[in-house]
Formats: sequence, C-alpha cells, structure tokens
Amino acid sequence: MKSPIRNTIRELRATRSMTQQELAELISVTRQTVNAIEGDKYSPSLEVAFRVARVFDVPLEQVFQYDPTGARVK
Amino acid sequence: MSRLNFQEKMLWAQLLGIVVVVAFYAHFLVHSGPGHHYFHALLLVLLFLFGGVRTLARRRSKSVIEDERDSSITSMGARWSNTILWLGLVVILVLYWDHGSMRSANFLIDILFHLLVLAGSVRIIRELVAYRMSA
Repeated sequence: MKSPIRNTIRELRATRSMTQQELAELISVTRQTVNAIEGDKYSPSLEVAFRVARVFDVPLEQVFQYDPTGARVK
Repeated sequence: MSRLNFQEKMLWAQLLGIVVVVAFYAHFLVHSGPGHHYFHALLLVLLFLFGGVRTLARRRSKSVIEDERDSSITSMGARWSNTILWLGLVVILVLYWDHGSMRSANFLIDILFHLLVLAGSVRIIRELVAYRMSA
C-alpha cells in the first residue's frame, strides 16, 4: 500500500553517491526500512524524518511532502 | 546483500519451528505410547535453541537490526495474536459453561496448545505479510 507521504531521498542519495546501507547507519534504521521509505511503502516517524533531513542538510519539507492524491511531487 | 532483515529471518525460523513442532506432534499422537514425552522435550529444546541463536545473532550484528518499522509490524502481529487468544479463551469458557466440565485436564491442555500454535502461526504470517507489503 502506498503512503501519502512522498519523499526525495533516492534523489538526494544519488547526488551524494550514498548507498541505502550508509544512510540506514546514519539514521539508525535498517537498510530495508530505508528501501521501504524510498518506495513510499512506509511513513517514518517524525524523529527519523528529521534525522534524514539533517543527514542531507536540507529542510524537512525538501525531503518529505504530503500528497494524499498519490501523485509524486518533483 | 540480503533482501530480508534480521526480524524477517527470525520470523521464517519461527515458522519453520512451528511446522516442525506440529509435524512432530502429529507423529507423537499417532506413534507414541503412553509414558513417552519426547514432544515436550522437543518443544523445550527448540525454544532454547531459538532463543540462543537469536541472542548470538543480535550480539554479533554490527549494524541496526531492529527499528521503528519492525516495532510497528511486531505490534500489528501481537494485536492479531491477542485477538485469536481472546476469542479462543471465550470459546473455551463457553464450552465449559455448556458442558459443565472440560472432561479432563488433558482435553484442556490440548485446546490451549492448539490455541497457542494457532495464535503464534497467525502472528508470524501476519508479520511476514506486513514485511512483504512494505518491502
């Protein structure tokens, strides 16, 4: 089931040549959870969301967007 | 890199354990004479074995092996398992009220064992489905 929370983690990771495992270790979750978040299959807690934003040094809303219609925000 | 995380691997191990226990139980019912209690020994050995392997794997793992997603899936499995257990206990109570007695302690133990196996299996399957749906 798709989550209404969209994110740009995959793109942000790509610009920094970071693997899912590396990001997972930095935000203290499993690689499978990073994969689920990237695929919009799992909505992380606010704490994990802030950790992700801090790792990429960008505002939270640049990483996560709320989209109840299901259309991916670019 | 493995597609399954630590919790999923443990769930598959638990499912395998339940299959072994049920298979052995069926064999125990058909072939064992009175006074043979291999079944209880198997249950205890499996529980200790599983607990030992899980603890060892947790200690040896350097990366995160359990996070908030695992916890939310575990809670989901626990909710399903609790529902089954509660329904089962209500059914047992209704049976008791209907018949006035549970015939024997063995009958009650049999029902409780089947209820635990059912609740455990439902919990494991529900969690595995949740992992696959959010993979």
